Amino acid sequence: MITFTRNDILKTYVQNFFGSTLGRGAVQTTSAYDERRALDGLRSLDSQAIGAIYDQYFSEVYRYIRYRINDDTAAEDIASDVFVRLLEAVQKRQGPQSSLKGWLIATAAHAVNDHLRRQYRRPVEVLSDSLPDHGASVHSEVDARERNRLVQSAYAQLTAEQQHVLALRFGQGYSVEETAAHLKKNINAVKALQFRALASLQRQIGEVNYE
Amino acid sequence: MNNLYEVLEICLQDIEQGADIDTVLFRYPELADELRPILEASANAKNLAIPAPSVEVVRRNRTRVLQHAAQLRQAKVKPSRRIWFASLRRVAVTLVVIAALFISGTNLVRAASTTLPGDNLYPVKRTWEDVLLLFTFNSQQREALEVEHENERHHELRELFAEGRSEDVDFSGMVTSQNGNEWVVAGVPVVISAQTELRDAPIVIGSAVRVKGETRGDGIVLAERIRLLDSDAKLPDLDDDHDDEDKGHEGENEQEGDNSGKGSGDEEPKVEETEEPDSDSEQEDESSNSGSDSSNSGSGSEDNDNSGSSDDDNSRDSGDDNSHDSGDDSGGSNSGSGGDGAEDDD
Repeated sequence: MITFTRNDILKTYVQNFFGSTLGRGAVQTTSAYDERRALDGLRSLDSQAIGAIYDQYFSEVYRYIRYRINDDTAAEDIASDVFVRLLEAVQKRQGPQSSLKGWLIATAAHAVNDHLRRQYRRPVEVLSDSLPDHGASVHSEVDARERNRLVQSAYAQLTAEQQHVLALRFGQGYSVEETAAHLKKNINAVKALQFRALASLQRQIGEVNYE
Repeated sequence: MNNLYEVLEICLQDIEQGADIDTVLFRYPELADELRPILEASANAKNLAIPAPSVEVVRRNRTRVLQHAAQLRQAKVKPSRRIWFASLRRVAVTLVVIAALFISGTNLVRAASTTLPGDNLYPVKRTWEDVLLLFTFNSQQREALEVEHENERHHELRELFAEGRSEDVDFSGMVTSQNGNEWVVAGVPVVISAQTELRDAPIVIGSAVRVKGETRGDGIVLAERIRLLDSDAKLPDLDDDHDDEDKGHEGENEQEGDNSGKGSGDEEPKVEETEEPDSDSEQEDESSNSGSDSSNSGSGSEDNDNSGSSDDDNSRDSGDDNSHDSGDDSGGSNSGSGGDGAEDDD
């Protein structure tokens, strides 16, 4: 007897909605038809459709946010808040018109900017334990933590646009073309922005290291 | 400069494919010094990349999002349902109230339609008449309705007389006889007392008046107030009633004096009826009436005209005979008009 778990059903639903699942940094293959169906499901507040969209995009949205802010709890709150905003926006007919993922990332970027502005007014020292574990020794792990703290401090000094392009290119692993689509800029402009952002990051790392 | 950005992008793609920085820069020695720190920065930026959130984080926030969706669903459904139920309930209550009012109102009006003055529902009957008048905009229909209502007042009087009840009444009609304190208004004997309010003077025979008074068991109305009406006031159409009641009796007036006493000859006979007890002859009546003779004679001639078809044949015979005949008729009818009239109706 064949039994289907809830995850199987969800997986099928997601595949019906979006075709193949996306890996990290993969280009979304969602067709316009699937997007429309997803948005229809959102408008009708269909739990299955909402769950499928959440499962599809939450990880990406969370990683983007967490890349930009060094705070697990805040990243989690902001990520779920982005989906809440999506539900409310769709109900008000102000939701995504073309790209669901584009809307989510753009909303996440705005939410992060707001969060950083608030944090700038009331700075809080955040200690995060969620550094990548590359299976290194304790020493190298400590070095890696220190190195990451240094880079994060330098990254925090960049402009919002520079942070945004680095988060998309190196945090999300998007291609230049996809990043250009998210930033609504042409490819050459994105390449230039990327160059300046990396140059600025390197400069800030040097400054932070010197301090 | 564009070349620098292009080369950087190529180098990044090569590093993404697994090449190291030295290898990719080896191909661009002229840009190596400039690109090296940029590529090192890109490695640092890449090291900041965050792995996928834990299952617990995904599950926790999934629940939160779905709960919010459920709240939105409720908020979306609730108001419309609430409004729908509220409006439905309002419409239902309105319909029930209208139906109850209509049914009870209809029954009430129907029940009140046969009431007499002094009955509990009599005010309902009069109010309903006023309402009907209020909503009758056609002048002809309105006049007809007013006449109908006045006829109803006389019908009520006859009912009260028949039942021997003493009730407050008011009715209108033409004064057809004035014999001291005993008047006849539209065929109804009216007694004037010292307490009777006679504000509008002089009231003479032929005047249209409205009488407010009290019925007595002996078939008269004790007047409390008599008011002179305008010339265009609507008076009861007693001829119609009489015609209806006495169809087929035309031409038999002389033989069936009691019945003919009401109706077309109603007013004329009474004029002379009140005078008759004083004297059998008409000439004597005129002399005895003295001051009111002229009006009497005048009214007599009018009455002849008004008396209509029943006396037409008589008038064709001769003027003198007519007066005598009518006098005789009136004598017969008069004798019964006071009490007989009521009895006839019964």
